[in-house]
Amino acid sequence: MSQLDELRQIIVGDNTEQLSALKDRIESVEERTRDVSEVLAPAIDATMRRDDSLIQALSDPVSESLKRAIRIEPDAYAEILYPAIAPSIRTAIAQAISSMLATINKTIESATTVGGLKARFKSIRTGVPYAELLLRQSLLFRVEHLYLIDRDSGLLIGECGAEDQGLMDSDAVSAMFSAIQSFVQDSFSGREDDRLTDFKVGEHTIWIAHGPNAMLACVILGDPPAALKIRLYETLESIRIRYAEQLQHYDGDASQFARLDDYMQPMLQSQLREEELPEEKPKLQMGPLLVYLVIAAALGYLIFQALDRESKLSTLHRYFDEAPGVVVTKANWQDGKIVVEGLLDPDATLPFKTLSAHGIEQEKLQLNLTPFRSLETEMELRRFEKELDPPEGTILSVENGVLNLSGRASVIWLLRHDERLRQLQADRRLGLSNLFATDGSLNSYLATTLNIPAGPGRSEALAKLSQTPWVEISFTEILRDLLRSNRR
Amino acid sequence: MQKRKICMVGDFAVGKTSLTQRFVNNSFSEKYLTTIGVKIDNVVVDDTKLIIWDVAGRDSLSPINTNYLSGAAGIVMVADGTRPETVESLHTLAEMVVEKIGQVPCVVAINKYDHNAFKLDDEQQNKLTSQGWDIFKTSALTGDKVPELFQVLNNAIGAVTSVGEEA
Repeated sequence: MSQLDELRQIIVGDNTEQLSALKDRIESVEERTRDVSEVLAPAIDATMRRDDSLIQALSDPVSESLKRAIRIEPDAYAEILYPAIAPSIRTAIAQAISSMLATINKTIESATTVGGLKARFKSIRTGVPYAELLLRQSLLFRVEHLYLIDRDSGLLIGECGAEDQGLMDSDAVSAMFSAIQSFVQDSFSGREDDRLTDFKVGEHTIWIAHGPNAMLACVILGDPPAALKIRLYETLESIRIRYAEQLQHYDGDASQFARLDDYMQPMLQSQLREEELPEEKPKLQMGPLLVYLVIAAALGYLIFQALDRESKLSTLHRYFDEAPGVVVTKANWQDGKIVVEGLLDPDATLPFKTLSAHGIEQEKLQLNLTPFRSLETEMELRRFEKELDPPEGTILSVENGVLNLSGRASVIWLLRHDERLRQLQADRRLGLSNLFATDGSLNSYLATTLNIPAGPGRSEALAKLSQTPWVEISFTEILRDLLRSNRR
Repeated sequence: MQKRKICMVGDFAVGKTSLTQRFVNNSFSEKYLTTIGVKIDNVVVDDTKLIIWDVAGRDSLSPINTNYLSGAAGIVMVADGTRPETVESLHTLAEMVVEKIGQVPCVVAINKYDHNAFKLDDEQQNKLTSQGWDIFKTSALTGDKVPELFQVLNNAIGAVTSVGEEA
């Protein structure tokens, strides 16, 4: 043993081993962990009791580690939180849907009524969008439920309201209203005549009107106008007057309040629009109505007249245009007459009968028509029939829009119209390629006019002429042929 | 349907709420007792709907809110059979009730009959019956005598009403 060890032995004596054990304990991580774990919980307790320094120290690390943990395992946390937040989400969604439905119902109703039309007109007049107007009108407020409650006992006397409210037992609600009434009175005022008149819960407003024996509680969705409160008191007042005796001695038997609904129901019906509350239905007034009727009748007559005149003009145009040989360039009404301007073929026939059948009399027509010659096929046909008077055995026909005179006519008739026929053919107004002379008239013409004696020459000439269209016959040629054969 | 307001009164923790719990339709949670001092339930007895106002119990710090008694047709007074002082205080409670709403039909429930420490001596019982009150030894645990309690009270109210009408 060295001198130093001896000296140490003298100073610290037998504690050396304890010291080394202590040193080992401090140096060993395991030992230290165990030591801290033993005192950790009591230490936290003690610190929490002393002050909030631990909370302050831990708030940041705890918040950070929570964030990280949620990021890593979102599903697990969602599952833990679900029971806590699901009911409030459900309630919020149900409320939102319910109010949306109410809006939709009202909007549909408004859009299809006179009110809706009014709103549209107002929108055009004021420049405020239609949807905005409708929304403002639609969901101002809605009276959902009314409770008539006996002041003393808090017993429900009567109620009315929407079926779908799903509220708790009305008797219990009514008693609770009364209890809250007493509670608030005791807690804040202590005076008998200080009463709870209104309170708000979420989107609902509850107004309570007080009478000597009863109170009328009104559950309203949205923001009611002040006028509604007056109506609430009026309703309570009229109930009080009607059932004064019953209210004073109410013992829980609601059957004494027959027809109470008649008083309460109007409060529910006068729900939606403030503007509608004071408005009364306008009475039907006969004076203005008559004036409107007269104006409407006059307007109707004028419109009818205009339409009638227009329709007569178009009828005239149609039938004049259809008639051959007439061209209408202008037709209009002047001093109760139809003035017609245009062209008229002297051979044309105007359709006066047809027009008369359509209410257009001949005397109502003033015709300023300039004569002209129409080349329409029908007019030509009519004209040729009149001028040429085609004899029996011939026919005037139209083929592919061209007029033809065909058949066999006597030589006398043919000679009489010869010049005119050739001129018409040259003008291409009449086809004559199938017009022949009759055999008999040819024979007598050869015998008497041309003095050709009977014989083979005459027979030969006759046979040839019979097969040749009239316009192609040349008698000079026939005579020349005869002379030539006689010489032989 | 005929409706009647019934009030349950008694000292703190005598078991008023537990007594009615099994017998009535619970409309509101018990938290109302500690917040506004009353809890409302209802029960139908013989075609009559009893609206039961369970008024928060009286203790040394707060008296019962007698405003809640207004308009009551009948009273159920509840005491704890294991705490004789709560039986004694029924008499002062009754005085408060009469002062507030006058004489109304009244029944007494001495609760916790199932408990070993239940004790109701003859002197106490006689003192109660001398007031004209019907006594029921009830048990919130088993529900024993609870329906009878309300039945008798409802009948008593019916009798008083019909006498009143005849008069």
